[in-house]
This record gives sequence, C-alpha cells and structure tokens, in this order.
Amino acid sequence: MNELGVLLDLPSVRLAILALLLGSLSLPVVGVFIVGLDIMPVRFAMMHVALLGIALGFLTGLDPLLCALVLCAVTGGALTPMARSSAGLSGAMGLLMTLAIAAALMLLSVSGVNANGAFELLWGSILATRPFDVAALAVLAGVVPVLYWLRRRDLALLLHDRELALCSGVAVDRLTLILLVIISLAIASAIRLTGALLVDALTLLPALAARRVGGSLAAMIRWSLVFGLAFNVGGFFLALLFDLPPGPTLVLVGGVVTLLIHAVPTYRKGSPQSCASSSASPLSPSSH
Amino acid sequence: MSAISLSLSGVTCRHGSFTAVDRVDLDLAPGDHLALTGTNGSGKSTLLRAVLGLHRAFTGRIAVSGVEAKGGSGWARRRTEVAWIPQRQAAGRFPLLVRELLASSRNAEAAVRAAVDLSVGGLLDRPVASLSGGQLQRAYLARALGQLAAGAGLLLADEPTAALDFDGQAQVARVLAELPMTVVVITHDRVVADVCGRVAEMAAGRLREVR
Ligand SMILES: Nc1ncnc2c1ncn2[C@@H]1O[C@H](COP(=O)(O)OP(=O)(O)OP(=O)(O)O)[C@@H](O)[C@H]1O
Ligand SMILES: [Mg+2]
Repeated sequence: MNELGVLLDLPSVRLAILALLLGSLSLPVVGVFIVGLDIMPVRFAMMHVALLGIALGFLTGLDPLLCALVLCAVTGGALTPMARSSAGLSGAMGLLMTLAIAAALMLLSVSGVNANGAFELLWGSILATRPFDVAALAVLAGVVPVLYWLRRRDLALLLHDRELALCSGVAVDRLTLILLVIISLAIASAIRLTGALLVDALTLLPALAARRVGGSLAAMIRWSLVFGLAFNVGGFFLALLFDLPPGPTLVLVGGVVTLLIHAVPTYRKGSPQSCASSSASPLSPSSH
Repeated sequence: MSAISLSLSGVTCRHGSFTAVDRVDLDLAPGDHLALTGTNGSGKSTLLRAVLGLHRAFTGRIAVSGVEAKGGSGWARRRTEVAWIPQRQAAGRFPLLVRELLASSRNAEAAVRAAVDLSVGGLLDRPVASLSGGQLQRAYLARALGQLAAGAGLLLADEPTAALDFDGQAQVARVLAELPMTVVVITHDRVVADVCGRVAEMAAGRLREVR
C-alpha cells in the first residue's frame, strides 16, 4: 500500500487520475449518444479523420492535434444530412473512415512527412496525459452533462425515433448536428487519453452496460455514469496495484463487467400485463 | 385551436421512380371526417406522410388552413397543427417511457387522461418497446389526443384500430366520431368507416370519393 502511496504522488499519475475522473463525467454520456444514434463505428471513422488532421497539421505547420480535433468536429457535423436517409448514419461512418484514411495516406506520402510520426500521435497513453488533454476533457465534462440536462426530452425522442421527434417539435437536424460534433470531439480527445484502440472502453462499454439495466434514457445516462466511473477508477487502481498496463486493464475490467451484466437475466422488460391495469406497474424500472 | 381545413390538389408522390400517389385532389372543410380505404400499397400512408412533410418527394399543392408549408420552420409549424398516428408505431431502438411518449404531445396531462380512458394508464413507466401491439397503438392514440388538446386542428390516423380488440375498435370509433377537429382516418375497419361522414377509396395511387 505504501507503494501505491508513492505512485499517487507522481505528477503523471495524478494527471491521469484527473483525466479519468473528468472523462467519467462526459464520455459515458457520449457513449449513450453513440449507441442511440447507432453509430458504433464512429470511433474508427474519427481515428482516421484524426490521422488526416495530424497529417494536415504537419503539412501546414499548425499544431497537429488541434488540426485533428477541428477536422473531427467538422467532418462529424458534415454527416448530419446523412441521418435523414433510411440507411442512416452507420453507412456514412464507414464511408468517412475509408475516405479519411486514403486522404491521410495520400497527404502523408505527397508531403513527404514521416507517417510513423503521425501514427505515433494517435497512440496516447493514460500515463502520458498532457495538460491540453485534461483541458479538453474538462470542457467536455462541462458541456456534455449540461447539454443532456437541457435537451433530455428532445434527446429521448430523437434517439428513440427520428420521425416521432420530428412530429413532436424537436429541431431534429440541429440536435443531430450538435450530437455528431460533440461525439467527434469527445472521441478525438479521448484518443489521446488511452490510445485509439481503447477509446471504446471509456465510451461504449459504460453505455452498453447501462443499456442492459436502464429502461429509459434518463436511467441509461445515470447508469452509464456509474459504470464509467467504476470502470475507470477501478481499472486504473488495479493497474497501479498489480503493476499492469493501465489501458488494457481498464478495458478488461469494463469489458468483463459489461459481459457479466449481459449474462444476468433481466426481469424488467417485456413483463406480461393486460391492458386493463390502472395502477403503476410493479415491474416498472426502479431507477427513479 | 379548432378544426382546420385540408386541401390537396394534383398531389403526386414518388418513391424513386415509382408513383405511389397519383394526382390526388381532396378538399376537407374544418370538422369534416373522412375515412380513407383502399387496397394495400395503394398509397394511403404515403399521402398522409406527405401532408406531414415526412415524405418530401411530392409535387402539387398541400395546404392546411390554406397555407402551404415552406422550409424547415414551415414544416415544423405544420407538424404542430396536425396530429398523427403512424401506421407502424416505432418500438424504437432506444428506450422511451410511455410517459415520455405521451408528453411529446405537448399536452402531457390530456394525453395521460386519454391513456387512462384507453386502459393504458397503468403503463406510464414502462418502455414502449415492452408494450403489446394493441397497447402501443392505444398509447399512440392517447398521444394524438394530447396533440389535439395542445391545439392541433387536424388528425391524421393511419389504421389506428389495426391492432385493437373488438372493444377497442368500438371505443376508438366512438372517440373519433366525437372529435370536433378535422379527421382523416385510414382504415380497413367497417365500424370506423361508418362513423365518418365522408369515405374515399384509393387504388393504385388514385383517390376516388365514394360517399
Ligand atoms: N420507402 C419506400 N420506398 C419505396 N417504395 C415505397 C416506400 N414506401 C412505400 N413504398 C411503396 O409505395 C406504395 C404505397 O405505399 P403506402 O405505404 O402508401 O401504401 P398503403 O396504401 O398505406 O398500404 P397499406 O394498406 O398496406 O398500409 C407501395 O407500393 C409501397 O411498396
Ligand atoms: Mg399504409
């Protein structure tokens, strides 16, 4: 335990814990949005767009990570009209991913920039968290929960059914745009935190676990925050205690718990009940 | 809001190159009740969706209260004036509580009251995905009644009794008959058609008034 105390005194460990705590406030909520919009491949798309942004940064001499962040936000938002088509956004994500990686490789090759240098910027690590990453996460931690709270009624309708939202006075296009920009920014910022391959642990795993236990958007958001915090803090401390690599430990903790939650049968949903009941269902979601 | 008029002239709707609705003319005065019948695939749902701006690939003129919808805000306004019961109620990929569905009508109180009348008042805290087909249809009907209470003057109901039991069909027919608003109800249900003052039939995209 003394060893742990020493580790906790390290500035890099403290910064990592701060980043993970801040991330826990927004990234699981973003994960719920991702699941709700049915765009799980968004992480792959944004990873490749970020690479293109980094290449652009190298080429223009601007800060590569800032370029990546801006380009992710712009391309994410540009996908908004695709949400109107029946194919929805998931196909658009695949298209964006392939186009972005091709453009990035082309740019890197034409500009003569060392591709490895660009790729390296994508492989972040929790223990290499920089103040800039923490600042980005802090902004998200402020913006995302507030957006959810102010727009929770509209969000519940939009994520449930686009046409129902349209017919309920929700500004569907604007809200979709905001969601896509926020999702893109969140993923681009989180990539630096855990590396591109582990972003899912911070976003999707808490959301997937929450979907299993939450019967409404509000319940899912609450559960995703609980799971996100538990996975992040639990995983990180396990890694410190047993001297394991933090990224994979975090993902494994989250993944195993999510799997276990899905393995436990649920009695809440689909309970048989006749029409003629007048009292509240005893089986209604308990999370109120 | 009280009952409002609906006027269609030369409305043609396409799905790609397929013409689903073909040069339809129709005039409903405020308070008119029209039953729309016809064969499967004859274009009834497409026509109602065009009125709501959910099917935008149409030509011709669709006016509600004498006004054609233009641009995003025009359609948004249209959707507050017109209540809708979709044929395929979304079970949704994402959980939505019956209570939230009813609140989306913009008059949650009236919608909940209607839900109680329609025997689904006990399901408010259930996700809509967990309802039976008939329960879901009743919940959507209650939502539409909430929209009417919130000021919509025209109800477009797409087979609102398709999933209902006999009592439910009779009850909905009664509710529709008593509505002071303008009503277009797509139905294959004789009980519902019988309470409407006017009946039109669609076949292969063409509309013909029968009564
Ligand atoms: N999204 C779509 N893409 C292509 N064709 C479509 C689409 N929606 C409807 N159609 C076609 O348009 C025609 C009219 O469909 P619509 O749903 O309006 O029929 P309907 O009269 O409501 O039928 P039903 O009584 O079965 O509900 C059908 O031939 C249908 O196959
Ligand atoms: Mg139909």
